Amino acid sequence: MLLAFDTLAAVAAPQALRWGGDPSGGAPYVFSDPSNPQAYTGFDYDFAEALARQMGMKAKFVPTDWESIVASLKRKEFDVIIDGFEPTTDRAREVLFSKPYYLFRLQLTVRKSEQRINSLEDCKRLGIPVGTLVNCAASRLLEQGGYKSVGYQDPVGAYQDLEAGRVDAVIMDVAGEMFYARKNPKLRPAGKPFNTGAYVVGIRKGDKALLEKVNAAIDSLANNGTTEKIFRKWDLWNEEQLSLRTRQSVKYEVTSARFNWSEGLIKLSKAAGITVMLAFGAMLIAVLLGVPLALGQSNGNRFVRTVCTIYIEFFRGTPVLVQLLFLYFGLPVVGVTLPGWLTAIVGLGLNYAAYESQVYRTAFQAVPSRQWHVAYSLGMKPAQAFRRIIFPQAFRIALPPMTNDFVALFKDTSTAFAIAVWELATAYRELANATQSYLGIGLVVCCYYLAMSLPLAHLAHRLEQRLQRKSTGIISSGSDT
Amino acid sequence: MISINGLTASVEGTRLLNNVSMDLQSGRILGIIGPSGNGKTTLLMCMCGLLPFESGSISIGDRTLPAADSGTRNEALWAFRKKSGIVFQHLHLFPHLSVLGNIIEAPVHVSRKPKAEAEKEALGLLEKLGIEQYRNKYPEELSGGEQQRVAILRALAMNPEALMLDEPTSALDPIRSGDVRKLLQEFAAAGHTVVIVSHSVRFLKGFADQLAFMGKSELIEMNATRELLENPKDERTREFLRFSELS
Repeated sequence: MLLAFDTLAAVAAPQALRWGGDPSGGAPYVFSDPSNPQAYTGFDYDFAEALARQMGMKAKFVPTDWESIVASLKRKEFDVIIDGFEPTTDRAREVLFSKPYYLFRLQLTVRKSEQRINSLEDCKRLGIPVGTLVNCAASRLLEQGGYKSVGYQDPVGAYQDLEAGRVDAVIMDVAGEMFYARKNPKLRPAGKPFNTGAYVVGIRKGDKALLEKVNAAIDSLANNGTTEKIFRKWDLWNEEQLSLRTRQSVKYEVTSARFNWSEGLIKLSKAAGITVMLAFGAMLIAVLLGVPLALGQSNGNRFVRTVCTIYIEFFRGTPVLVQLLFLYFGLPVVGVTLPGWLTAIVGLGLNYAAYESQVYRTAFQAVPSRQWHVAYSLGMKPAQAFRRIIFPQAFRIALPPMTNDFVALFKDTSTAFAIAVWELATAYRELANATQSYLGIGLVVCCYYLAMSLPLAHLAHRLEQRLQRKSTGIISSGSDT
Repeated sequence: MISINGLTASVEGTRLLNNVSMDLQSGRILGIIGPSGNGKTTLLMCMCGLLPFESGSISIGDRTLPAADSGTRNEALWAFRKKSGIVFQHLHLFPHLSVLGNIIEAPVHVSRKPKAEAEKEALGLLEKLGIEQYRNKYPEELSGGEQQRVAILRALAMNPEALMLDEPTSALDPIRSGDVRKLLQEFAAAGHTVVIVSHSVRFLKGFADQLAFMGKSELIEMNATRELLENPKDERTREFLRFSELS
């Protein structure tokens, strides 16, 4: 009875075609409908709906993350990828490609005032890094051609940085370029669109039956004019697409990323160097700012105390990622444009200063007040007593938690990926996504992190022991009567 | 020479010293006795310039410390503090410095003495007390008695005009031992003043030249040691001495 009911239900409700795409900064592919934020829209959204209908199925959108979209498909979070997905040789090892449903070209964009750059070759000649999305045809093209590049998670960030002057050129699929840059009066296209590529549907290896059905549906949609209707709606139709109507195979360029280990290790080492720079720079700011914050909070007058407390609670109470995005995208609005790496150092430094201040405050409080009295009775003035007597004792108390914070800071530098800083975690994501070698590169990256944090922990431990040998601290905690 | 005039001091609204006056000649050792909680330590803290007082004044040698609201206290304070040294009941050595480091810290960094000279003097002091072998040890490695010797030397190294000791006999016995006693007597004989707060009348009896008895926030009477012990004038002093003889 139950079995019969199940079978009935399966027949009655059309089977779901679960498709994955990244809606964050995903316009015009798939994105939250501005007039109805609960719903999604975009040409890939429309295409997926039409494709599923053609296949007698019901489209079900699964929002996912662009960078790891292939890994998510393999983990069966959805059945197909429909998100401006380009066939590449590295992806061909992981997934099956459908027939193309759209042919796209790339477009280089610069600021309106830009004089030097009119082609990708200009960028290469001048050594100017080109911004683009990570893990896309354009990023692979740059890599193959030996261009300098800056990777972005979404087109909005790339064009914002172009406007703010953090990068001087951005290359993007024409679809994205039209939506985000074409109408921006401060930007202009540099040269004509070039390098034809194709969007295809990505399907898990082994899903041959699904592939056949998808291909048949793509053909039907192309020939019955549905595809044209969809892309006309988004103002992306051109005559070139007509070639997709014929059943012959279509010529398109397959871009691919090369990865060899020696090159990869050099890239990872560079990224590790940036991670070290971020961590040390941020810690320097955190320590230099943490001490006055701690003193201000415990010894300042009411105004100073309030200011310090507000600062500390603000930075401890909001996520560091949000603070970084705020500094990176918010400050240029008021005319302060810092490069990504500096933003990361300042942002992490400001954030960790709040935590360090609490470590120092506790440490200062742990030094008995009689130590001040003794120093004063010997004729020391407050600054000297602090420097020579109180600080060295507080430092020893603060050292273990400081070490912990520093190691944590090392790991928190990975948040800088959000603002396009090419540190170790960003490098891992990009290299692993490009090569699908999450495990191998992941282990190497972990080794890099350990190689940085273990000596640090060891050094701190040695220092601690040396100080411990000198003394275990407070001689007598009893108060005099 | 120490001269205190009409000293009145409160801590957190409680009056701990009320109109205390006394004069003490140079070269003398003064013992202050009295029940605990009667302001003995408060008096020492005032005399070291560590606790501001409401009215009156304290002079040590040619330096005078005025009351807190006089407006000139801060200027007078730093010079005044160099005139007095204190050894706290719980000693409070600097745990991050060696024995030698504790003693030369102020001479080198406050008096700007050359380090070699300060070390030589410190070693001389350590030898007098027979603990020069501990010069490179850290405070926690020392016994209570050894720590007390170092604390005394740390204060003496600044060559203060007056040295205060707060309850030096509580649980520690080296102060009773000959060499420490001798050191303090030499120090006094060289024209300095020593003030010792102690609950042990027996200890002060053979050591202090003069005794002062503190009642509730007040200086009840002060006299030569023998005179005060044998012939106390005030009923409260007599009662305290009767009680302390029993203990």
